[in-house]
Amino acid sequence: MGLSTKQRILNLSNLEISIGKVTFKNPIWVASGTFGYGTEASELIDVNRLGAIVTKSITRQPREGNPPPRIVETPSGMINSIGLANIGVEKYIKEMLPVYENLSTKIIMNIAGTDMYEYIEILELMENISSNISGYEINISCPNVKKGGMEFGVDCDMTAKLTEELRQRTDRLIIMKLSPNVSDIVSIGKAAQNAGADAVSAINTVVGMSINAKTAKSNIFTTYGGLSGPAIKPIGLAAVNKLYKKLSIPIVGMGGIVSSTDVAEYILAGSTAVQVGTANYRNPGVGENLIDSISTYIAESNWNTLVEMIGKVQKYN
Amino acid sequence: MLIERANIISNIEVAHNIWEMFFEAPEIVNDYKGPGQFINILVEDNWNHPLRRPMSIASAKDGKVSIIYKIFGDATNTLSKKQSGDTIEILGPLGNVFTNWDNGYYPILVGGGVGLPPILNLKSECEFNKIDHTIIIGAKNSDEHFMTHNPENDIILTTDDGSCGETGTVMNPIDRIIKEKHKAYIFACGPEPMLVAIRDYALKNDIPSQLSVESYMGCGVGLCQGCVISKNNIDKKENSYHEQYSLVCLDGPIYEAKDIKFEQS
Repeated sequence: MGLSTKQRILNLSNLEISIGKVTFKNPIWVASGTFGYGTEASELIDVNRLGAIVTKSITRQPREGNPPPRIVETPSGMINSIGLANIGVEKYIKEMLPVYENLSTKIIMNIAGTDMYEYIEILELMENISSNISGYEINISCPNVKKGGMEFGVDCDMTAKLTEELRQRTDRLIIMKLSPNVSDIVSIGKAAQNAGADAVSAINTVVGMSINAKTAKSNIFTTYGGLSGPAIKPIGLAAVNKLYKKLSIPIVGMGGIVSSTDVAEYILAGSTAVQVGTANYRNPGVGENLIDSISTYIAESNWNTLVEMIGKVQKYN
Repeated sequence: MLIERANIISNIEVAHNIWEMFFEAPEIVNDYKGPGQFINILVEDNWNHPLRRPMSIASAKDGKVSIIYKIFGDATNTLSKKQSGDTIEILGPLGNVFTNWDNGYYPILVGGGVGLPPILNLKSECEFNKIDHTIIIGAKNSDEHFMTHNPENDIILTTDDGSCGETGTVMNPIDRIIKEKHKAYIFACGPEPMLVAIRDYALKNDIPSQLSVESYMGCGVGLCQGCVISKNNIDKKENSYHEQYSLVCLDGPIYEAKDIKFEQS
């Protein structure tokens, strides 16, 4: 209060947020699977401006991923079924961790496993070496592989057990990534919270299908895939708001964010930070644009900081 | 690789449902490495079509880029409505280039359907560098051709229905020219059945060939891992870490025929 609009735009610290013991310079993160390992798009964006980079899902062994076609555009969205293609944790440690030493943004490593043991083994490998990883996002919600954590993500007890096992092994942030493909996302979120998660992120992609009526075939090799993009924004907003009402830990919101208005909606719904995903495919520099435009949004609004906006959506009447 | 907002200079229908667009993109021309590279076009600024459309560069000189595209659906139809003075946002130039065409071989350039642009681009380079070559273009019928059948000048058209040029597919003239010429090298871009036929022929007859392949593409820059093609060997390419698959956006779109395999072959 008392600052001119211009002064408030310049005061970028009004974007700062904290989760657990970690402070992020802004709430604009890039979502897992949409930004590679973090530096692929460096020609098109200054990645150090991002609040955080959430990496591709890293698995215990390297994965080739699913056969093509893996991607199809749908109205205001897209369906993917990549199948967790990645280099595996050992190569990740060897090749990517040294690269991160030169970055000033926060790195959140996304981990996927086929069973409890794999998640634990990956986390232990990471904890046994020194790195500047700020935390882990745990993928318990990939819809595109036969064994990709979904068995955890749809079950409160297994979510709790996994979170607890990981919590015992790290002081770094643990963010459990929740699936919208469940009947009650809040109960899964509560299970993660009670077992010691620092935050939950929501939502992963929504199970979807695209059919070619001429050939009578699915447009995706695995028949079903994960729907993302603006088409799922209303689903993401509802999930975040339901979680916000019942949980006390921070929520990292995502699903169809392409503009500063979308960011504002997710923050008002209850997100402490947001992740931009599909929009990176269209413009890998969109994260930077959102950081600038959400600063302007706050400066032109009645809010002083982003933090005071969190969860402040009101009922219509 | 960069993003440039380009002014459209012209956009005209050159054959049935086939359009040619020229636009000003000096920065992309500056970064351009040669025939085979592509750009990723944002057809509309709204989110009706979230993903960019990958399109081969048909020419890139004097600050101007051209593309040739066929109307397939909503997005390409929208593109065809753009007029001189409108702008579109381009990401590029992306991908690798045809090689060896200027290395003592006799280039046989083969294009079909939407696979024409990189082939016409390579033809221009051959002409500029005074390299003898033959171009063979296949289509369903004469409506889809915008060049003239001119075998005396090594321009051969084929049509499925015989309405112009030679009747049948591109395979007959390819076989004939290869038997006539010394050290032939095939460079091809077109629909997958055509590339499958050329690949099978080239491997069987031990003719070197480079194919420009198509793939569903999410981003064009290696982020989404969507645009894979199956590899025929497990040699690791420079930009992909996979053994079984190669990313078309980073490692392609040009591959030696022996290095890849198609799902239907």
